[in-house]
Amino acid sequence: MSYDEWFRDDRLPHIYCAGCGNGTVINCTLSAVDQMGWTKDETVFVSGIGCSSRAPGYIVADSLHTTHGRAIAFATGIKMANPDLRVIVFTGDGDLAAIGGNHFIHACRRNIDLTVVCMNNMIYGMTGGQGSPTTPQGALSTTTPYGSAEAAFDLCGLAAAAGANYVARYTSYHVKELIRAVRTGLETPGFSFIEALVQCPTNFGRRNKFRQVMDQIEFFKSHALLVQKADRMREEGKKIPDDMIVIGELARRNRPPLGVRK
Amino acid sequence: MRLVIDESRCKGCNLCTLVCPYRIFKPGTTANRRGVIVPELDRPERCANCRLQHLYGRTLCGVCQMICPDQAISWEEEGACEPVKVAIEY
Repeated sequence: MSYDEWFRDDRLPHIYCAGCGNGTVINCTLSAVDQMGWTKDETVFVSGIGCSSRAPGYIVADSLHTTHGRAIAFATGIKMANPDLRVIVFTGDGDLAAIGGNHFIHACRRNIDLTVVCMNNMIYGMTGGQGSPTTPQGALSTTTPYGSAEAAFDLCGLAAAAGANYVARYTSYHVKELIRAVRTGLETPGFSFIEALVQCPTNFGRRNKFRQVMDQIEFFKSHALLVQKADRMREEGKKIPDDMIVIGELARRNRPPLGVRK
Repeated sequence: MRLVIDESRCKGCNLCTLVCPYRIFKPGTTANRRGVIVPELDRPERCANCRLQHLYGRTLCGVCQMICPDQAISWEEEGACEPVKVAIEY
């Protein structure tokens, strides 16, 4: 089976806006799933509500489109009912960080054998560009017309602190690294969390000086800082600029997982 | 192998023009029937994957296919064709 065969050809082209990064993350995830050699029958894709959560509808495997924020709760049920299934959760930042925040931290605590791919576009893209918990400080949105006054959520730091087995962050520019991270997450027993920062040209970029799709990709390219370099800079006492995005593998540990057959 | 852009899927975001190491993709100039300005291919025979995929037995590079949000870029098998002289830039 090749990577192309995971798509439902009759549903494409998808409804995402031109240049939306969600399509890139779907490509990378399916490529990683294909490298693992899993079959359609044993793989389940779960999603909540939002732009990102339309992703399983374009995939030929079994999928579940659930209520807002409860994707991880449904995925926990699937995994506990049949531990032989491979469960992958697609979720967005509004889904995971805002309404599903408690499900997320408790899934990290229980260390269930799930792979969660969070497409973080830093805004509520589907409903018209309201500010989300991951909107960067100072960014403009419909509900923060003078710039967001609140600090943004660090989802990877939250997952690592709550006890996830594998935590990584990449952007939609770093496709090869993203494939490798998702693959490592699929291989890891226990909860693995991959945050992929994606561009939202329609609702985030348009209001935040990224007029073209490429402008935001160029921003990701120039403002990504590998975690090893960030650690080195901290040791040397240098200050990491506020707008830098720390990418890379942020946590890997070996806590006993839940939902794996002994 | 031959590099092709599926015009029925492409939405004209031009992300492929940013990532290709050979700069094969160029921003297009004319809109197609759906009103999308599809990127143009500049000498696509230079693509590493087109030339060497069969030799190595796996996808080489392939960044344009991965970053394309609309799944529009793919490679297809070519039939027999007449030989053409190709200048490869390194």
